[in-house]
Amino acid sequence: MVYFINDIITGALIGLLYSLVAMGFVVIYRASKVFNFAQGELVIIGGFIVWFTTMQAGLSLWLSIPLSLVLAGLVGYAIERIFLTKLIGESVFSMVMVTVGLLILLRGLVLLVFGPAVRPFPIIFPLKPLFLGDMLIPMNLLIGGIITIVAAVGLSWFFNRTRSGLRMTAVAEDHVVASSMGISVKGSIAVAWVLGAILSTIGAMIFLSGKSLTFLASDIGFAALPVALFAGLESIGGLILAGVIIGIVQSLTTNYLDPLIGGSLGSVVPYIIMLAILLIRPTGLFGWRTIERV
Amino acid sequence: MDPSGVFPTSYRSDRRIVRTRWQALALVLFMGLLLAAPYLVSGRIIAILNMMMISAVIAVGLQICTGYAGQINLGQAAFMGVGAYTASILASKTGLTFLLTIPLAGLSAALFGFLFGLTAARIKGFYLALTTIAAQFLFHFAVLNLPSTWLGGSNGITVPPAELFGLRFVSESSQFYLNFAVTTIMVAGAFGIVRSRFGRAFVAVRDDDVAAGIMGINVAATKANAFLIGAFYAGVGGALWAYLIRFVGVDQFTLFHSIFFVAMIIVGGMGSIVGALIGVFIIRIIQEIIATVGPNIADSVSFLGGDIVFAGMNVVLGGVIALFMILEPKGLMHRWNILKSSYRIWPFPH
Repeated sequence: MVYFINDIITGALIGLLYSLVAMGFVVIYRASKVFNFAQGELVIIGGFIVWFTTMQAGLSLWLSIPLSLVLAGLVGYAIERIFLTKLIGESVFSMVMVTVGLLILLRGLVLLVFGPAVRPFPIIFPLKPLFLGDMLIPMNLLIGGIITIVAAVGLSWFFNRTRSGLRMTAVAEDHVVASSMGISVKGSIAVAWVLGAILSTIGAMIFLSGKSLTFLASDIGFAALPVALFAGLESIGGLILAGVIIGIVQSLTTNYLDPLIGGSLGSVVPYIIMLAILLIRPTGLFGWRTIERV
Repeated sequence: MDPSGVFPTSYRSDRRIVRTRWQALALVLFMGLLLAAPYLVSGRIIAILNMMMISAVIAVGLQICTGYAGQINLGQAAFMGVGAYTASILASKTGLTFLLTIPLAGLSAALFGFLFGLTAARIKGFYLALTTIAAQFLFHFAVLNLPSTWLGGSNGITVPPAELFGLRFVSESSQFYLNFAVTTIMVAGAFGIVRSRFGRAFVAVRDDDVAAGIMGINVAATKANAFLIGAFYAGVGGALWAYLIRFVGVDQFTLFHSIFFVAMIIVGGMGSIVGALIGVFIIRIIQEIIATVGPNIADSVSFLGGDIVFAGMNVVLGGVIALFMILEPKGLMHRWNILKSSYRIWPFPH
């Protein structure tokens, strides 16, 4: 029973990590109507920035973490300036395809610049797990979960309550209408990408803390995708619930069903949930329902 | 666009694919040159041509699904994989002739694609792209986790060569004729599909699905059909691939390969069969150049090792996709059409 509860707690915490990465998707979508397929690549770029500032440049963690976040924000800003500003008002198809192009472009660039070598990632959160009776909770995931919840509360307050957040929401509704209302679509998209890149970097720190870093870690972007869809692409608060549910289901499948069937069903369970959600309720749990007019 | 005053006077002439004598001549010359290619050029180029023709079948399918019907599909490589696996299992276990395995591979891929196309009844836009990505992951999961006696697991499957009346398609040039025949049939079929009732329904749904529905088109069925046809092409291409490489493994059909196919139709031009062929030609040439130049660079920059080809390919194709979307979203075919109509109506502007 203790193991069962432990699996649930660990699963929920991993789910919160997925929520944090998925928050990158949602923030970018919520402020620019662009679905960013290259989210996993942003995570890995964030990871390499953190690795570079700590392991390579030898800065202390207190200095390197803020610096990494700033650098990641700059990368996000640069990507937005180079690729996305020019597509304002273009079709959804163009936007999606540009981010798909970015997905393989960034993956290739990371490989070319850093190579396929496996690198040690700095230990940002204490390695020692937290013991609760017989239960064992990984420290990095616990702190990460708290960060995720704080970020979710903060960002949903920003997007739903503040004036500038609501402006960005209008951009997500319609680029042309938003700009005719005097809202800077460019500015909104830029903020979105900076925020998205910063969130991804925090995600990378939690995910990779004390582990090893290769370009393959970007797969977490695709692992977080079902969470974003389950919550609905416009809802930041909903990510927490969706992440926890998917994390627990995945953890239970991995621990109890996989030994029975002898396969890694746990890794595809999120996608099966995603397909079911798309068929039953395409807008996710808390997404917006749009009415289309011709 | 024809100059003013030149217009078709019957439905038959309006539907025509080959419209002028010069076009007919060019087509005959092109096909003749391709047929004679094994006698004209060396084995390396025949190998490249084989790859191009197989990619052409798959890219044309993607063109119908994405370019004509507007359904974003990032799972074309998975559909291709379903076809390749079907063909190789049928060929290695039951010994069926390729005359049957290739269509059956197409059908099984079409069924798989249709399942994901059904989701298009409820969702659209990039949500659809996400289900096709799920198709990609589920395909990998199925191959790697089903008992390895079924699909070969991570070891892959070895495929016996295609055989007809005792003639074995083993050499590059004999495979060239097999691929040539199938590609010709498939591409000719694609021209037929896109000017038929189905093709026009695809275009209507692409341009505005709500309006298309009001005009009496069954939007959900049309979208599912688009996936069915696109996946059928991918399956046939996959079967050809299996017979060409004579080995299928799950690594040959990843999300990256799907994106490469998307790059082909974006470069060539969305909504044009010829555009898909041009895109295949250009992307495959780029791939060849990187594959030839890459190892030389890898020698001097040793820490990259063998990944440089893959990395270079990703950088170039990702850049190409982004550049085309920003600068010329309609692709090279659009440029060519502008040029063509301007010389047709020269010296007048309209």
